[in-house]
Amino acid sequence: MIWVWIALAPILGGLVYGGERVLRARMQRRQGPPILQPFYDMFKLLDKRTLIVHAPHALLAVAHFFVLWFSVAAIFLGWNLLYIIFLHLFAQLLLILAGYSVRSVYSHIGSNRELLMVVAYEPILILVAVGLYLVSGSFEVSQILKSGGYLTQLPLLFAALLMIVPIKVKKSPFDVGEAHQEIVGGVEIEYSGVFYEFLYMSRFLEYIFIYSFIYLFGGESHWLGALLVAGVFLLVNLVDNATARVRPAQMVKIIYTVAMALAVFNLAGVLL
Amino acid sequence: MKFFTPFRKKSPWVLHYNAGSCNGCDIEILASLAPKYDLERFGVINTGNPKQSDIFLVTGPVTYRSRERLVELYSQIPEPKVVVAVGSCTATGGVFRGMYNVEDGIDRYIPVDVYVPGCAASPQLIIDALVKGLEVLEAKSKEIEKPFKLFGAIETIHNKLSRLNMATKVEPHAKD
Ligand code: SF4
Repeated sequence: MIWVWIALAPILGGLVYGGERVLRARMQRRQGPPILQPFYDMFKLLDKRTLIVHAPHALLAVAHFFVLWFSVAAIFLGWNLLYIIFLHLFAQLLLILAGYSVRSVYSHIGSNRELLMVVAYEPILILVAVGLYLVSGSFEVSQILKSGGYLTQLPLLFAALLMIVPIKVKKSPFDVGEAHQEIVGGVEIEYSGVFYEFLYMSRFLEYIFIYSFIYLFGGESHWLGALLVAGVFLLVNLVDNATARVRPAQMVKIIYTVAMALAVFNLAGVLL
Repeated sequence: MKFFTPFRKKSPWVLHYNAGSCNGCDIEILASLAPKYDLERFGVINTGNPKQSDIFLVTGPVTYRSRERLVELYSQIPEPKVVVAVGSCTATGGVFRGMYNVEDGIDRYIPVDVYVPGCAASPQLIIDALVKGLEVLEAKSKEIEKPFKLFGAIETIHNKLSRLNMATKVEPHAKD
């Protein structure tokens, strides 16, 4: 059963992404694309000619997708949280390498920003894992889901996690990594056709990845977890529609001062 | 593949290029992407990246400064692709016709599939043209399409087609 879910993870993420595009359109009083739009896009990309810069560049995107899928699978299987975070970091590094491996300046800028994003959110993710460990006594996702009370003991840590969700799903104010037309997609710029498709699908997996961290805060109660995910989903899109993009350096500064302080403060409170 | 062909018209991604227009038509294009006319309901995304686009929206008569870039961008869009010329000056030169620094219309440089009249073309017309362009897009094959001018060569290197020299530069002192 769990294997079916793992196999379906990109499709699930695609539905979330499609739903999000509709939701954002409705927030702007537009009709918006159909909810299956991401899949139409994927099928169309399969039907286009593919331009390749060089083979390793194209393969790194494929590798990025599969490592990411593996880390999402690890969450579903209830493995060690730290292991999952580092797997995800590895996937991100593959993408950054891909960005640096071509000559396009925009690709390099994209990689730089991707690195800054990793620098910004990675400590918070690890602190979240530590916080969950302190309360539940285990790094295993399956164990974490067996106890509860995270939200009452780790409210500030949850707020810190909330702040890094927009970075991961590339939403304003922290969407510096892709930045719409400002840097033309950053690391994605040199991809086309089938290989762009892998990057497109890994975006779906990012959604699953970061929202499962939100879900973990629900603990044993599945309803609470689902409610949290839905609430955060709405909130992130609301903020996305209402804010402008900050500069990369500002992003790191905001995360390091506000989110980090919240997280450390909360952890100190739990420890003492 | 035949199975995927119907999906072409469901997700047209747009590349918008200003080849020296007065900005009138660009604003109309932005208006048709904005909430009131909402082109996104057809699945349109304004990508800004030629390698991921299907529809090339061009505005403006081609000025001498912009022609190299026009052909370069055109060459970088993978097939199947459709070119939509937005505005009178893009189709014929319009108010700029006969000026010393422009070519009269983009179809001297690249093949155009849909022309949109109007100075400036209204958002309704632009939407109509895009929908028309989708029909053209669905009927197209994946043959490589070449620009009329400034076309370099498509070479075969290690059994792979290379587009690296597909678009060339204007000769430094050519009289045209
Ligand atoms: S058609 Fe008219 S409004 Fe449109 S770009 Fe040309 S001159 Fe401007």
